[in-house]
Amino acid sequence: MTMNPTELIGPPSPLGYPAPYWFLVTFKVLGFTLHMGPMHLWFAGILLAMILMKWGGTEAQRWSTRLMRQMPVIIALGINFGIVPLLFTQVAYYRVFYPATILMAWPWFSIIVLLTFAYYGVYIYVTGLKDGAKLTTLKRAAGWGSAILFVAISFLFSNGFSLMTHLSAWPQLWQETSVAGAPLGTALNTSDPTLWPRWLMMFGLALTTVAAYTVFDAGVFARRESAGYQRWAANFALKLHTVGLIWFAVMGLWYLSTWPADARDQMLSSPLIVLTALTALGPGLPWLLILSQRRQITQRLAMLTGLAQFGVLALNAISRQVLQNIELSRFLDVTAEPVNLQLSPLIVFLALFVIGLGVVVWMVGKVWQAERQPA
Amino acid sequence: MHYPAWYVPFLTSPMLIAIIAILHVLVSHYAVGGGLFLAVETRYAYRTNNKEYLAYLKDHAWFFILVTVVYGAITGVGIWWTIGLASPLATETLIHTFVFGWAMEYVFFVLEIVSAFIFFYYWGRLDPKVHQAMAWIYAFSAWMSLVLITGITAFMLNPGAWPETKNFWLGFFNPQFVPQVIARTGGALLLSSLYVYLHASFRVKDATLRDLIASRSTLPALVGAVFVTLGGLGWYIFLPESAKAALAAASSLNIFMVLIFALTITVFVMLYLGPLRHPNWVSPGFALLLFGIGLTVFSAGEFVREAVRKPYIIYNVVYSNQILPEEVATLRERGYLEGGTWTSAWVRARYPNVTQSEQIDESKLLTLAEPDQRELGKVLFQYHCSSCHATTEGYSAVAQLLRGWTPEMIKNLVQNPEKFHFFMPPWAGTPEEAELLTKYLVSITPPRPGGMK
Repeated sequence: MTMNPTELIGPPSPLGYPAPYWFLVTFKVLGFTLHMGPMHLWFAGILLAMILMKWGGTEAQRWSTRLMRQMPVIIALGINFGIVPLLFTQVAYYRVFYPATILMAWPWFSIIVLLTFAYYGVYIYVTGLKDGAKLTTLKRAAGWGSAILFVAISFLFSNGFSLMTHLSAWPQLWQETSVAGAPLGTALNTSDPTLWPRWLMMFGLALTTVAAYTVFDAGVFARRESAGYQRWAANFALKLHTVGLIWFAVMGLWYLSTWPADARDQMLSSPLIVLTALTALGPGLPWLLILSQRRQITQRLAMLTGLAQFGVLALNAISRQVLQNIELSRFLDVTAEPVNLQLSPLIVFLALFVIGLGVVVWMVGKVWQAERQPA
Repeated sequence: MHYPAWYVPFLTSPMLIAIIAILHVLVSHYAVGGGLFLAVETRYAYRTNNKEYLAYLKDHAWFFILVTVVYGAITGVGIWWTIGLASPLATETLIHTFVFGWAMEYVFFVLEIVSAFIFFYYWGRLDPKVHQAMAWIYAFSAWMSLVLITGITAFMLNPGAWPETKNFWLGFFNPQFVPQVIARTGGALLLSSLYVYLHASFRVKDATLRDLIASRSTLPALVGAVFVTLGGLGWYIFLPESAKAALAAASSLNIFMVLIFALTITVFVMLYLGPLRHPNWVSPGFALLLFGIGLTVFSAGEFVREAVRKPYIIYNVVYSNQILPEEVATLRERGYLEGGTWTSAWVRARYPNVTQSEQIDESKLLTLAEPDQRELGKVLFQYHCSSCHATTEGYSAVAQLLRGWTPEMIKNLVQNPEKFHFFMPPWAGTPEEAELLTKYLVSITPPRPGGMK
């Protein structure tokens, strides 16, 4: 039986968008950019930390310890930042987001359970890193378990968000996994040609983020570490970033080859070719900055490296958004919904956002002062 | 109807929301009250230069972070996850109405996370005044989160003038807002004290310090209990008439209300006799018992809060089966199968012989073979009824509820559910579709139990 996937898109909300589309998508992309940093650190970072703790030398183990000690905070921030894109996705992309996630409801729902175990696993592991504590077998297992769970979670996320735009897969998935038209929620979007390269490309990008963060951490937070550690970190970051770059490039090319023809045409012709090129070449900038610090990491360049990597992530997030809209445009124009502007709540939110940011800056400033004091 | 209906055998998908929501509130209230406890008590410990108490508070702060920042935060996101899967239309409505409410809450959530980590990880490294400021920033932010999310959840029970005006603020400051903020603030104070008793009873060996902790946590607990009572009364007063009627009519809710009433009195008595009059009674066993009773009261309260909304998810805005009230008349005319995005696609794909010009021809539905008619009846059940009913076994299983009913009785119920039970949404299909659903229900309904006179 044949089915046109467009038939499966429900009517628009009679309430309309509460703000113009550009506002919603700006916060969605900004939130995703912020989310990507910590997300990369747990996606690739925990796995690397486990590997180096098991098979690495003294400095590698030191790096692993440093990263994992920071991981509870990194995870909290990553989850927190992830709420923003999820919120705005549900405002602007609800007509495809809900059906896609319902079709794979159980795997999607399982993210909550897996995340809980993964997060507690990190805490259990970290208790073994405290001064005087021992990394018991159980604690090591918890760390490895978390690393694997975070990789699994990232796969499920990729699955959900690729299914959101891969509407042509919906009819078959639905009919294969439903009871009298009601989905059991057991589908997975594994037949999508974009899924694997997209997920693996993200892993390559995650490796570069871990590398950039290694330099940032060594230059900003780890200044009390030994010169030997600093040298090791610079060397390790360069190698890791290079591997990440190659991985990103190979998977990126694979990913590009799986795009629908119209998406490829648009992304590779003017004016979007500029964005595509910047996204592809962008990771070269942090690589150059890391290369320039291969002998010595400096605080200023380390901060620049972090900033450059943030720029790379932002470019990636923007490109993903543009591509997502192109892919969806065959079925749905997300920019065309009416707007019923909620002006006063929007102003209150923006005012609170600015005040909140000020308070965060004040708090971080106090931490910075504390860090500067002798131990 | 606009979205696919997630079929969760035995349990029904909305029950997952209830489970996650209950698991979350047991910690989210502690995240608020515990923050206030840490702010007040850290100030007290600094002021009295009580180093033992400060050490305990640091220990408690670690426990607090482990419970609230991990479990609390993830289950909070989990509620969101689940409502989108189980009640997508209601979620769509809430998000389009309150996206900036959630965005505001998010700002406070960021402040909570940052201040909580700094408060704990920089313990002893910050100036005491700055350290206390971190605790107060956390406490205020957490309470504001409570206020903001309560505006949205209270809206679901009584949206006030919102359906007519669609005004954000009228929806947010709905009739249930103040009572629920009072009740939840009280709940946060009360529950956090129970967490403190529990934690201290296991962690503190020094009897003097344990007595100090017990006695200092009793006032917030008692104040909290009073707030819960006052807020609960306000909640009842501002309930829509249908919710009050549901509370009186449903036997399970009657039992829960009696349970809540009896256990709340028990908590009062235990607080008075234990921590207030005899702080040394707060042993691990006593604390565990008090904690268990407290969690039971909270769980029952949350279940009641969720259940009394029937037949709505959002009162007068979205029915529990994902239909907007204003759609019912059209669906009765056009047909539910045709009106539903996913049901119409299903019928067109599977039964092309009942479609004409891409539309479902209602008059042809009853010409299908009997098994096909029952199958379409099952489709109607999945989309129209399975939000609240399992099929043959499980939560409110329809087959068990209809046991022994005649086909005529079942058909009458299908066509007039809201007249049989006011807490059921109205039938939103054509007479032909009612016939299909009836045939399906008759096919799964077991006979009247044997052996009865």
